[in-house]
Amino acid sequence: MKGSWKSKLTSGLFVLPYLLCFGVFLLYPLVSGLVLSLQNNDMLGTHEFVGFKNYKDIFTPGTYVHDSFVRGLWGTLKFVVYSVPVLIAVGLALALLVGALTAKARGLFRTVFFLPYAISATVMATIWMRVFDTDSGFLNLMLDRLHIHRSQHIGWFTDTPWVWIALVASTVWWTIGFNMMLFINGLNEVPEELYEAAKIDGASAWQRLIRITLPSIKNVTAVVLIMTVIASFNVFAQPNLMTRGGPGFETNVMLMKVFDVAYGQHQGGAASAMAILLGLIMMAVSAILYRLMFRKEAS
Amino acid sequence: MKKHQHRFGFAATILLLVMGLALAGCGGGKSSGDSSASPSSASPSGSSSSPASSPDNGGGKSGAKTEILFWTPFSGPDGPFMKSIVDGYNQQSDRFTIKFQIQPNGDYYKLLDNAFGTKKNMPDFMIMHLDSIPTYVKKDLLLPMDDLAAKAGIQKADFADAAVNCGTIDGKWMGIPLDIHPLIMYYNKDLFQAAGIAAPPTNMQEFLDAAKKLTDASKGQWGYVMPTQWPQQFLFPSLVYQQGADLADASGKPTLNTPEAVKALEFERSLIFEHKVSPQKVAQDGEVKLFLQGKNAIQFNGPWMKDQWDKAKLNYGVAPIPVFFDQPGVFAGSHNFVVPKSQTDQAKLDGIGDFLKYVAGHSLDWAKSGQAVASKAVLASAEFQALTQQQTEVAKEFDYVHFAPPVPNWGSYTGELYNQINLVLLNNGDAKKALDEAQAKAEQAAAANK
Repeated sequence: MKGSWKSKLTSGLFVLPYLLCFGVFLLYPLVSGLVLSLQNNDMLGTHEFVGFKNYKDIFTPGTYVHDSFVRGLWGTLKFVVYSVPVLIAVGLALALLVGALTAKARGLFRTVFFLPYAISATVMATIWMRVFDTDSGFLNLMLDRLHIHRSQHIGWFTDTPWVWIALVASTVWWTIGFNMMLFINGLNEVPEELYEAAKIDGASAWQRLIRITLPSIKNVTAVVLIMTVIASFNVFAQPNLMTRGGPGFETNVMLMKVFDVAYGQHQGGAASAMAILLGLIMMAVSAILYRLMFRKEAS
Repeated sequence: MKKHQHRFGFAATILLLVMGLALAGCGGGKSSGDSSASPSSASPSGSSSSPASSPDNGGGKSGAKTEILFWTPFSGPDGPFMKSIVDGYNQQSDRFTIKFQIQPNGDYYKLLDNAFGTKKNMPDFMIMHLDSIPTYVKKDLLLPMDDLAAKAGIQKADFADAAVNCGTIDGKWMGIPLDIHPLIMYYNKDLFQAAGIAAPPTNMQEFLDAAKKLTDASKGQWGYVMPTQWPQQFLFPSLVYQQGADLADASGKPTLNTPEAVKALEFERSLIFEHKVSPQKVAQDGEVKLFLQGKNAIQFNGPWMKDQWDKAKLNYGVAPIPVFFDQPGVFAGSHNFVVPKSQTDQAKLDGIGDFLKYVAGHSLDWAKSGQAVASKAVLASAEFQALTQQQTEVAKEFDYVHFAPPVPNWGSYTGELYNQINLVLLNNGDAKKALDEAQAKAEQAAAANK
């Protein structure tokens, strides 16, 4: 079907706003980031082209940026591994629970679970620092009442593995609404007849979940998974505001390190190279996950 | 239709709730006061991120006046105090209008760097922390103030010596000081009275005796809750200075693992694990929360905390930091006025000089925020001497304050130091080993900093 030049123009005009936004907000920053990573740039007005020196430094053990990169990557990877399964599982569970409610209650709980997503990082951190504080935190005071860990309070932000549990818990509270919404939409797409047929055949609720629900929402799950992985790789506010990277350097995540190199060391080029490497790692991980999820269909 | 209205009501309630939460976050925000090296001062973002410019006070005459843009990081409770100085100046000047802008404290240097880097939206002059000045001087981005000061009749002798000395680099005066904010001691007067302690401690022995008397672990009450992160950046160096040592040598090489540094860290650790006057595993701001609840009797923090204590209606006292080792010594920061080198407009330079001369005589408003100002004339004034709750106590420390070593990007040298101190204080770790590690990382940072 060949359209006239008019219809081509019209469709072209429809794409134009997106292309403009893409160019201004994605392509331009990406290209400047790439250019920056090839420079020795103090972020204060002087810069020189140095080729791949920044990347070479990152891969040279013993340099400041190498150690920053390795430490940051390690912290970020840990957060991804701990947070992604929980964010997926809790998101799906909440979607299923909300779906099982009456229509009226559904609207209410959807809003309630989504609400924290709209809260700023500073407020989120203030709330959870009050909950997780070692000596005056709500959680430890409650444990006191239950006569658990009274002699030595748990250091939710100052001890491993608790610090990861606290970070994941606050992240779940803060961001889970988004995953839940996506899952709710996915669940709405599953044809009701399938469940009715399964019920008639005597399938239990668990079987219906495994055999009908999960396969039916596979596409949505893949999207949620990849978006969650990307979001978790970009973790910054939670450790930066609440644990300050502690205990020690346990929760020093990559973006904190990028920030430190860029504005603490005034090495914009090296910081940009770190960020670009992180982006490449994110792309690789996303691609692998995508392949894994759709391997069967392809073959 | 009815359902829609219902929805609307619900949405409105939610909106109100969110706004309420956001406001609560702002009000309950932390020590937005200050400090350079610290990532701590997470100033409540949202509301303060829009630059608040002062209303035009010039009235009808403003058209003829030269407008001068002034950047500050005072997004905390200190903002209004600086604004009242600027307003006062604008009212009496018929030649210049200072346009006062507050940038969010946590993003201040990022915004400043962007302005320097892009050469756009550059302020005509701004506030800079004393320990950041070397970084920008090394890059040749700041204008020496000597000529401007001479023309305006501002002299080095007008200000506290320590800040002037540190702000003079290679013989050039780079920043005119507004205040000096050293670490100070806050203590809970009610707890002191209940424990029968008459006066705040002044040395190691008095401090240990008092802290032990004030500690009752079964009630969750502590003599001195040891911070494991911020404000260690003020506390640890103070303990090193009190032994006559420093964190860098004269050439700017880091010296983080000296015997004095080890002794300082071992002392901090002993308060938790040996003397047990502090709980273990203290989280960021844990000591502040306990102090606000009356469960922490003593804490060392910066003068900017005053506002929080006042709001909580605490019955607190202020005193200089005890001398734990051989000599008095305390870490301090300082707000300075600096001018970017790119500023060449003579009319504006004259205006900046005129304003700074005015501030040197009228910084009492700034002192009311809890700070002790650097201007000797204001320090000596009867009005300042009447501020005995805190400001005069802070000023007592001026004779022995130390600032961060004048090394560009010094903050990146000490990042690992505070990671390691954190680990030692949380896990009863080996102080020497930790400081060796910090020293190695600092040397790495120095190598990257060439």
